[in-house]
Amino acid sequence: MNAADRERLLTRLREVVGERYAFADPYEMRLYQYDASPETALPDIVVIPANAEEVARIVKICADARVPITARSGASSLAGGTVPVEGGVVVTFARMDRILEIDLDNLRAVVQPGVVNLALSQALKPHGYYYAPDPSSQGACTIGGNVATNAGGPHTLIYGVTVNHVTGLEVALSSGELVQVGGRKSAEAIGYDLTGLLVGSEGTMAIVTRIWVKIQPLPPVQKTLMAVYPDVATASNAVSAIVRTGILPAAIEMMDKLSIQAIEAASHAGYPLDAGAVLLLEVDGIPEVAQELGERMAKVCRDNGASEVRIARNEQERQALWKGRKGAFSAMGRLSSDFYVMDGVVPRTKLPETLAKIDAISERTGFKICNVFHAGDGNLHPLVLFDAFQPGQYQAVLAIGDEILKLCAEAGGSVTGEHGIGLEKRENIRYVFSDDDLEVMDQVRRVFDPQRLMNPGKIFPGEGLRPSALNYPPGYPRRQAAVAGGEDVWV
Amino acid sequence: MRAGAAVLPGHQITVEDQRRLSVDDLLPSKIMHPGDADDAARGLRLCDLTPAAVVVWGGGTQMRLGAPPRRYEIAFSTERMTRLLEYEPADLTCRVEAGMRLSDLQAALGAQGQRLPLDPPHPERATVGGMVAANSNGLGRARYGTVRDWVIGIAVAYPSGKVARAGGKVVKNVAGYDLMKLHIGALGTLGVVAEVNLKVQAIPESEATVLGHFEAATPAVAAGLRLARSYLSPAAAIVLDRRALWECGLTADWRWTLALKLEGYAREADAARDQTIGAIRDAGGRVEGGADLPATFWDAARDWSAPDGDVVLLRAIAPIASIPTLSDAMPPEASVIIQPAAGVVDLRVTAASAAPTLQRMRSLAGDAGQVVVASAPASVKSSLDVWGPPPPGFPIMRALKQSLDPNGILNPGRFVGGI
Repeated sequence: MNAADRERLLTRLREVVGERYAFADPYEMRLYQYDASPETALPDIVVIPANAEEVARIVKICADARVPITARSGASSLAGGTVPVEGGVVVTFARMDRILEIDLDNLRAVVQPGVVNLALSQALKPHGYYYAPDPSSQGACTIGGNVATNAGGPHTLIYGVTVNHVTGLEVALSSGELVQVGGRKSAEAIGYDLTGLLVGSEGTMAIVTRIWVKIQPLPPVQKTLMAVYPDVATASNAVSAIVRTGILPAAIEMMDKLSIQAIEAASHAGYPLDAGAVLLLEVDGIPEVAQELGERMAKVCRDNGASEVRIARNEQERQALWKGRKGAFSAMGRLSSDFYVMDGVVPRTKLPETLAKIDAISERTGFKICNVFHAGDGNLHPLVLFDAFQPGQYQAVLAIGDEILKLCAEAGGSVTGEHGIGLEKRENIRYVFSDDDLEVMDQVRRVFDPQRLMNPGKIFPGEGLRPSALNYPPGYPRRQAAVAGGEDVWV
Repeated sequence: MRAGAAVLPGHQITVEDQRRLSVDDLLPSKIMHPGDADDAARGLRLCDLTPAAVVVWGGGTQMRLGAPPRRYEIAFSTERMTRLLEYEPADLTCRVEAGMRLSDLQAALGAQGQRLPLDPPHPERATVGGMVAANSNGLGRARYGTVRDWVIGIAVAYPSGKVARAGGKVVKNVAGYDLMKLHIGALGTLGVVAEVNLKVQAIPESEATVLGHFEAATPAVAAGLRLARSYLSPAAAIVLDRRALWECGLTADWRWTLALKLEGYAREADAARDQTIGAIRDAGGRVEGGADLPATFWDAARDWSAPDGDVVLLRAIAPIASIPTLSDAMPPEASVIIQPAAGVVDLRVTAASAAPTLQRMRSLAGDAGQVVVASAPASVKSSLDVWGPPPPGFPIMRALKQSLDPNGILNPGRFVGGI
């Protein structure tokens, strides 16, 4: 965008949100050039609306000016979903972070997109309710972002993902209209299920300004177990054995040897350092049921090769076990200055062979790969460790990522379970969808966004990415080093 | 377009099939019964080139839903697409062709101790594709969700002649757009659902039924809502008036029945029973164990919402807190099954009282709810607005239809707003 166009657009946006909440200063905008993924791109303008009407007016102004518009709130996307690769306007929801209503009678909450996931459950807790989807980044990610990516988390095994909990949306369309689809009633609506379609569309169809979500009673008791295995293959087979018993745990998480070492060094969760793999299992229920299921699962774990099974005796012990898992990614800083997070899915029966293949890739390439993941639903998160200061390593890691996603797809799985396609995997999407599949998706997108201005450059392959954005961003090594030492990456 | 003007694609149809596959008294001129997804897409392409209006047929259990078609030339049957393509019990997933009968699928899953926890009416006739297209759900809605919560992937044949897939075979997957949602409940107006990938679950260890007797609807609904808001929510909770209970094969001296199906791990079902009995008593009802309940009761209650003949079924879907108000809308000769926890009220009315009852329910449901004619004979439908006013976002829906079915060959006129 040239300087004159930018100035004109900025003036118009400031008429909507006020002087303070629209800016184009390169220094101020640096914060908005990245998310939790490696890629970066500077927007032309950042705007911070106060309400849905302002969002709709912003969208209209951008559509009229044919300027790309990218929504962003927690910016914890691991797939570059909020990186404005084609420049334009970034709309951020820092001021739209209110819980508008807690409607216990109808088992709903109504929230603005900028509400932090965990904040909603905290607000519901005194009433005995919570919002079930709990991505590991729930302390930082927002419900708006969760809607965009159809976010999951450790407890999706039993409770489902974001779309199963969203019954209505208010969205700003590229025409500048605000439309409410669905609402307080069940999602079993007449007409096409636009709510379901919009969830997971990664901001490429419309911008969400209000969300109706289901809330549910807190489980009376959560029983958490840790089972220790000599290797990931044995642990994977134990997962299948548990599923075959008919017990559906609320969560089954796995950590391999390398991850355990990192986690223990960082958070002392109590995982044994000599273990080849650790499973973290949780069941929800009334006390007598949780107790019984806990014991039954412990037996299945032992019968399937666990050398040790430990059941958390109280909430403190439970939290300690979970702290290790939820802090796993930041703990990787103990092993490496940089890591690349993957998000592939395989049918859970394909876990052992897939993990063996990933191991072989690590062996062949010399890059260490940690595995911390949602074993219950086959959602892998291989972490490739590398040193961004070494020339060529980042490119080599991307090639490894590509190879891993390919083998997930070949195993009958998917190239993303919960992070989204974003910018990162828009070429990998070809491993799971044909041109015909993608063409229909694009037809649907064009209905919402005929000018291709809504978060362009995401999801679809080979589209609009500026060559410069493909290059390794100069600021990257320093930022990742800071991340590795801090605690702002989760999965 | 005039039938007979252009040569219609498809096979000759027998008089019996014409009658069997009629929709709202309209008869098809030809029939197609593709063997698989690609075959379906090729057939649709021919229909599109003609162009010839297509009505997709599965088991036909939901054919009384929707407005009468504007045109009908080709009966497009999925009767040859009945295969269970993949099923790995340890993955809790399967892939099936659209024409597979639901009862056949449940039998295959049941052999492995598993099931699809959706219970739409008439599973012995209903097909998986039909269940998806009509978003046909049963009494387990509140606990187990609806079709959208169990479909993880789809293959759809489009008028363009292409088969396009979305989703996949794994339970957690966010690659690409969730086009499954677009086709669920679309009544085949955007494409022909050819294959469906589903999540399944283990059959619960324990099942029990509790009946509560009430003299008024309000306390029965209140007890149902209270249980819905608790942790041990029932697998099904329905409130029936005396007449509906009789239509489900039971006679009663009392006026209202709260019937609860409890499922889960053995101890869970036990605890749920105690809680349920407490809730019924607290609401002023009397409890019956359900021991002498005929085994067919739950099946009859499930099938009740897809009636035949002259019966008209009106369905309100609304926020659950408004269910008590809606329950009061029934005229004296109607019968009703309320699912308080799902926010669903199903009302069987006569042809004569359909129009005024529909109007009254629509005014009570307000903007937050909606009321549709879920099943009615053609003679009644012609005088009713079966879908009600188009929902917000309708211009987008119409544009989606235009984009995916530009010649309007798929079920023309049957869907919301004349789509």
